[in-house]
Amino acid sequence: MEKNLLDLTAPLLLVAVPAIVALLLRPAWAARAAGIGLFAALLNVSFGGPANIMPFGQSLVYDPLTKLLWLLILGAAFAAVDLTPRAACAAQLPANEYYFLLPISTVGLMAMLATGDLIGVFIALEVVSLPLYALAAARRTAAGAEAGYKYFLLGSFGAALTVLGIAFFYGSVGSVLIQSAAAISGLKVNQAAASAGFLLIMAGFAFKAALVPFHMWVPDVYEGAPTPVSAFMASAVKAGAVLILFRLFAAADLPLYYKIFWWAAALTMAAGNIAALPQAGVKRMLAYSSVAHAGYLLTGFMGGKAAFPAVYFYLAVYAAATIGAFSLVAILEKHEKGVTLADLRGLAAADPAKAALMAVFVLSLAGIPPLAGFFGKFWLFAQAVRGGSPGLVVIAVLASAVSLYYYLSIITAIYAGKADTPAAPRAGTPAMLWLLGSFVLLGGLAADFFLLPAANALPFLP
Amino acid sequence: MMIGPDLLNIAIYLPLAAAVGIALLPRDKEHLAGPLALAASLLAFVPALALYLGFDPALPGMQFAQDLPWLSALGARYAVGLDGISLLMFMLTAFLGPIAVLSSFTAVKEHRRFYYASLLALQTGMLGVFAALDLLIFYVFWEAMLIPMYFLIGIWGGKRRIYASVKFFIYTMAGSLLMLAAILWLYFDHQSRTGIYTFALSAYGNAAAGGTGMLLFLAFALAFAIKVPLWPFHTWLPDAHVEAPTAGSIILAGVLLKMGVYGFIRIAVPFFPEAAMTAGWPIAALGAFGVIYGSLTAWAQDDIKKLVAYSSVAHLGIVMVGALVLEPAAVGGAVLQMVNHGLSTGALFLCVGMLYERRHTRLMADYGGIAKVMPAFAAVFMIVTLSSIGLPGLNGFIGEFLILFGSFKVWPCLALISLGGVILSAVYMLGMYQKVFFGPVTNPANKELPDLKVREWLCVLPLLALIVWIGVYPNFFLKRLDTAVNDYIRLAGGQRPPFSLVQEGK
Repeated sequence: MEKNLLDLTAPLLLVAVPAIVALLLRPAWAARAAGIGLFAALLNVSFGGPANIMPFGQSLVYDPLTKLLWLLILGAAFAAVDLTPRAACAAQLPANEYYFLLPISTVGLMAMLATGDLIGVFIALEVVSLPLYALAAARRTAAGAEAGYKYFLLGSFGAALTVLGIAFFYGSVGSVLIQSAAAISGLKVNQAAASAGFLLIMAGFAFKAALVPFHMWVPDVYEGAPTPVSAFMASAVKAGAVLILFRLFAAADLPLYYKIFWWAAALTMAAGNIAALPQAGVKRMLAYSSVAHAGYLLTGFMGGKAAFPAVYFYLAVYAAATIGAFSLVAILEKHEKGVTLADLRGLAAADPAKAALMAVFVLSLAGIPPLAGFFGKFWLFAQAVRGGSPGLVVIAVLASAVSLYYYLSIITAIYAGKADTPAAPRAGTPAMLWLLGSFVLLGGLAADFFLLPAANALPFLP
Repeated sequence: MMIGPDLLNIAIYLPLAAAVGIALLPRDKEHLAGPLALAASLLAFVPALALYLGFDPALPGMQFAQDLPWLSALGARYAVGLDGISLLMFMLTAFLGPIAVLSSFTAVKEHRRFYYASLLALQTGMLGVFAALDLLIFYVFWEAMLIPMYFLIGIWGGKRRIYASVKFFIYTMAGSLLMLAAILWLYFDHQSRTGIYTFALSAYGNAAAGGTGMLLFLAFALAFAIKVPLWPFHTWLPDAHVEAPTAGSIILAGVLLKMGVYGFIRIAVPFFPEAAMTAGWPIAALGAFGVIYGSLTAWAQDDIKKLVAYSSVAHLGIVMVGALVLEPAAVGGAVLQMVNHGLSTGALFLCVGMLYERRHTRLMADYGGIAKVMPAFAAVFMIVTLSSIGLPGLNGFIGEFLILFGSFKVWPCLALISLGGVILSAVYMLGMYQKVFFGPVTNPANKELPDLKVREWLCVLPLLALIVWIGVYPNFFLKRLDTAVNDYIRLAGGQRPPFSLVQEGK
């Protein structure tokens, strides 16, 4: 029993302890400590013993599903930490705090995905959010303050909705377990209160996942926050929020929710893609694009529980491409305002390696074969067709067609544009970017590698 | 080595492998990019030729076929193979590849590694489309091809290259995305009926009928019609053609447009024969209208490249009539005419490129009397022009004749309209020829133009040889089409007796 408990807590401790130590170290060592911690946790989850324990009932569940979800979160967090440029750290971020807060937020994400009861989910959500509020406001500028303030206010509002929802749900169902959501459809009394309550719970996570109409904060926060923090929020945090949403959605499996999510998906894809069209700032464009991707993911929800492998694979690919794109922006950033399309002009001539990587990430986000983003989207949309929503798929493909325009504008700037200013001396390209790039380039051709384990973990979904 | 699937895979992926190698060349070896690309594309032509010669015209179905597990979670398999129709398209692609590379040696001076890498990657994409026997692979190649083409137009194109490349990309991709939705629908429908998840093309013969069949057919047809391009979906084509570099135009006209027609023949019609029967005439009518529209628009152009671009709309219109009429002679003619159009229009773009390199203008008004200055070039251009018009003895005649002959029995009205287009083509093509080559040399800048150089001869001679060869002895090409054409008509539900394009005495 004790050894089993250690299996469960080891990955969490491996992330948390080095993070606390990082507070005491010099910046360069703090970065290493956080990175090593995340990497060790990644190794531990990958190669650790078989996972099938529930030491505290539903409050903490360590099963093959948890393992898969943790791998995704840890992978994304590790990539984001590894790719944080030293220079950005000095200029925009207090290093010690950053390397403490980001892993702690990761621990929150891990806990959120490992728990089967709503109280646990809520506590974990707060553990995720509090460090992020501080990180979003890390830049001491008007934009930074706006980002932190907006994120804090709206995030708290979302969390309040979740608590309210839990109260409704507990009041009508008499349980705080996620799996009791399945009972909603069979309730004789209070069914409306229970289903409304559960919807409110999901609304709280819809904030984090940036679904319409809870997406208003995204462009300002992603733009105002330090770029490495935006990369983390757009990848790991979003993946966590979408996964927990999926868990809740699949647990309830109510026809009413399918209808609501159908519209949420359609509106999210439309709003995200249309709003991204006129953007000149790359960070803002990527922010709106991440809204749109939440919509694509919701499209996959229409396939119900069996859509899990598709959602999982898509999140992995999306996270890799998003971290890659944001990190390139962070590396190329020269001034406070961030990178605009005009700044990207002539990048292909000045730095072919970074240009090629950016092209790969962006084309994958656009969903063009043979890149992994295409296979992710393909399989996601397939779920919606299987679930009987071909209409939503038509909307999704039309939205994808719209999105081509702004994704291509990035590629056009990089490859067809001429630089206004002479190229700056070329800096090295981090190995992690090459790793992410090759994953995005080839991952789709080997999608089995992700889809099969995820399909095997299906029985563990509540 | 046996002539089999391995050779087919080598032919498909060799250009891609070379593209990766060329992209990774060190900066100071950039001058090697062109020669290496030429060597690779010539080398890739060898297995293609072996496949062509090793193809057994008597056997039905796919040859050199390979079927390997790929994404087992999706039921997608790596399935490739060739039948007579795809074989000819495959061959055309492999043949035009080296010519496109060779034509770029002097025209492209910037970012040469990336240029040749794009050109070769494009080659793999096109070959893959023609060899694919699995819908997912087909779609992957079909879309992946857009990326290198987008770069070719967007980086090395003319003044409005960015507008043209973005328009090309979004236009063609938007159409394909609806096809993607249709593919998914078919996939799950097939699973619900048979319990098997598969993307194999062969599983979807007569896949849906009635209203659903029509909707799905239209989703596929839209994607293919944009690529053809069928009027009124053609507006991306003049922009893309005019702005693309010469090699881009050769590939675009020579191969890319054919993919649209090929899509109809391989997928849209056999999958939904009932819908194709109903919608066949209206779509062919759009083609026939395009013949007249394209010809008249071409007639009105001042820019030679634009003229050739619009002439493509007209030529492909005739091909569409032939492909949809489900009459063996017409279908065979349509496939052959695709090859012919690839050769003659490819050659035309090549020649226009040669003129442009010398004078940096494409306006007819800037030329005149070129025949006196460049007699050899004028002769070459004449042959190519006549081939495009469809003069008997050259390739264009065989294809157009077969199409008109076959379709006249079923759709006499459309055949007559198409015939009008053939006549119009003589008007605008010869008109252009006259303005450029005859008369006195009015522009002093044209007085000292050098005639064809060795490299340019090497580009045009293979094209000329094939133009004459098909015109004089088409059996070598038609022979391989028979079985595939009859298969297609059978799948499409046409009630025609087996028919041979080649009447050989025993």
